[in-house]
Amino acid sequence: MKTAAGFYFDGVTSARHSVTVEAAPEGLHIRGTDGASIATWAYADLRAMSAPDDLLRLGRADDPSLARVEIRDPAVIALIDDYADGFDRSGRTERRNRARIVAWSLAAAASLVLIGIVGVPVLADRIAALIPLSVEHRLGTAIDGQVRTMLDNKKSDKPFECDDGAGKPGRAALDTLIGRLERAANLPIPLRAAVIRRSEANAVALPGGRIYVFEGLIDRARSPDELAGVLAHEIGHVAHRDGTRSLLHAAGLSFLFGMLLGDFTGGGLVVIAAQTVVKSAYSREVEASADLYSVRLMTAAGGDPRALGAILSRIATSNGSRYLSDHPDTQDRVAAIDAAAAATPVAATPGPLLAPPEWTAFKRICG
Amino acid sequence: MTMADATAAVAPGTPEATARFVGDRRAYWRLLVRGAVLLAVSLGIYRFWYATDVRRFLWSNTEIAGETLEYTGTALELLIGFLIAIALLVPLYLGFAVAALGFGPLGQLISALSVPLLFVLGQFAVYRARRYRLTRTVYRGVRCHQGGSAVRYAICATFWWVLIALTLGLAYPFAQSRLERFKMRNTYYGNLRGRFAGSGFRLFLRGLPMWFLVAGPVAFALAFSISTVEWDKVLASAAASGGGDFLNQLETAFPGVYSAIVVWMAALSISIIMAALLFPAFQAMMLRWWIGGLRFETLAIRSELRTAAIYAAYLRFLWYGVLFFFALVILGSLLLAAAYYVSAQWGGTDLTEIATAAIGLASYVMAMLGFSAIYQGTVKFALWRCGVDSIVLDGADALARVDAQGAPSSAVGEGLADALNVGGF
Repeated sequence: MKTAAGFYFDGVTSARHSVTVEAAPEGLHIRGTDGASIATWAYADLRAMSAPDDLLRLGRADDPSLARVEIRDPAVIALIDDYADGFDRSGRTERRNRARIVAWSLAAAASLVLIGIVGVPVLADRIAALIPLSVEHRLGTAIDGQVRTMLDNKKSDKPFECDDGAGKPGRAALDTLIGRLERAANLPIPLRAAVIRRSEANAVALPGGRIYVFEGLIDRARSPDELAGVLAHEIGHVAHRDGTRSLLHAAGLSFLFGMLLGDFTGGGLVVIAAQTVVKSAYSREVEASADLYSVRLMTAAGGDPRALGAILSRIATSNGSRYLSDHPDTQDRVAAIDAAAAATPVAATPGPLLAPPEWTAFKRICG
Repeated sequence: MTMADATAAVAPGTPEATARFVGDRRAYWRLLVRGAVLLAVSLGIYRFWYATDVRRFLWSNTEIAGETLEYTGTALELLIGFLIAIALLVPLYLGFAVAALGFGPLGQLISALSVPLLFVLGQFAVYRARRYRLTRTVYRGVRCHQGGSAVRYAICATFWWVLIALTLGLAYPFAQSRLERFKMRNTYYGNLRGRFAGSGFRLFLRGLPMWFLVAGPVAFALAFSISTVEWDKVLASAAASGGGDFLNQLETAFPGVYSAIVVWMAALSISIIMAALLFPAFQAMMLRWWIGGLRFETLAIRSELRTAAIYAAYLRFLWYGVLFFFALVILGSLLLAAAYYVSAQWGGTDLTEIATAAIGLASYVMAMLGFSAIYQGTVKFALWRCGVDSIVLDGADALARVDAQGAPSSAVGEGLADALNVGGF
């Protein structure tokens, strides 16, 4: 049996025509109920359009008019399938195409991950080097406001910055310490350091030379050189322009994982998680190179380069868990600092970078 | 369905017709599960094919007056639309970033405007994406299409959403009615023009009890705290103490404050529970109202959607969700245990850390995609199927006399909606 009853839509109006469809070897004959020929479609042009499983809905390739033939007779459908070479009733071609698409999207995903891990940091480094210092300064000012609102928990009614006034002993000691390090570092931009009222043992450097020392760090430092070591580490971030680089890095990653990959099912958190994983690997290198910078700078300034390692391990132990520490693997870092210090030739005899009275004044900068 | 049935459904002289969903639930689940797995491993790149598959399934199994819809869109169109959208958005984002770096007051103005601007752009994308979907919808060999200015729609929609926020949701029914009117006035099936007859005021009246149940407890807490607490004294005390031990001072001076806080917490919990309990009823009400308001010239559509069907879908969602959650917890713990065992054999805390992070990330992605697929397979599927099954068409003979009109539109709107995360099926 080569003929079946079906419906025909001419693509000009929505009228449904009852037709007889004949699967002849030379083409698909569509005839009206009165036997008059309506159209003959060549098998090469036939396309199966989306339809329920038990229905074959035929259209023609490159036909802008959307004419359709619908058949439900399985025998005739099988016959058409045999005649039409490019026809894909079993779905084999579709499965092959789909497998190819899956393979390509896997390759694209792998490539994007690779770009995220390798390409973005390299690009961030290159672009950061091209950014003029004036722009970096402006960037730092823009970030500064946000950082201050983030860090200022407003718990205390005292001012957020522990500045006991220009010319006062605490401020003078800070200026002396920064001055000694700055002269030795010979940076292209001026440093602006401030002590802020936060209990964590930490310090941060922003793009453009702004450094915040947390009150908690001063409390835990046992010598001026320990504090100077941390300061030198932060100056290392400034000199290496790590703030700008990490900003570019973060922007690149959020573009890559956020915008390009799309937000499937609230993937915002996936983006953040992926960034954290990628960045933590990246931050190890950055911290290690800032440590080495600290060793060189402390040596040049006539301080003790090993003091940084001492305060790092003390903070790590008091934190209890090193997972909480935002700086990776303290033991490895201390070992690397000691090794670098041993390898660096000492120019002058090391002595404390602040005299005892200055140090006492500095310890009391937050009152 | 036999052909005799199909003919009977639209035979002349029987203008009333129905719609029904003929799709197989298991086939849909297969689609969703395969899609979720491929989305996970392709980092979401597969989504263009996934969306196309889902639409093809839903469209082609929706039978209206004896004929099924046809979705003619392709994944490639969506992909190209997305790439064009990215090319348009990247300069815009770069411009915002540069402006945020500070070019005086102008830069601040631009970066302040960036969020509302992106919202308007999102609404523009929503309207254009709708146009794409309509022009890929073919029924009886005739295409649907959409006219109207997307810019105008975006501005109207933004205005209404601001109003909704300002009126705590009370403007929502009116906004829906106006926006739906705009959309349907510009919607055509061939030369058959659509309109929307749903009344915003009627929806408002129907939704008002729900609004009171959700907002009522909060309003009560507000009234309670205003009447019991002497606010001028509290404010004076706050100003005097300047933070710090503020609450303790309050407690000794004004015992009413703590009871007000307790009332607030109870009110908020009741509101949240009410919102969760009423949400299925709200969705059913919206869907019934929307379907019942659709018109195409003389063709009118009614809906007899039962609210219980939507509640049943949510119960199924909860049940599958709990099962999936336990399966995920067991699988995650097994993987973690394996990771610890392996790293304990070979040493290396770095390896453990990386493995833990990777397992955590994978579990999160699997959880998100899994819950999303379960939601698609239960709630979204029920909304579509029950919505379609509830349709009764009056004057369906109009569908048989439509002349073809309209041309396929580009998928840039879909791409923009995707990139701005305002897309949907």
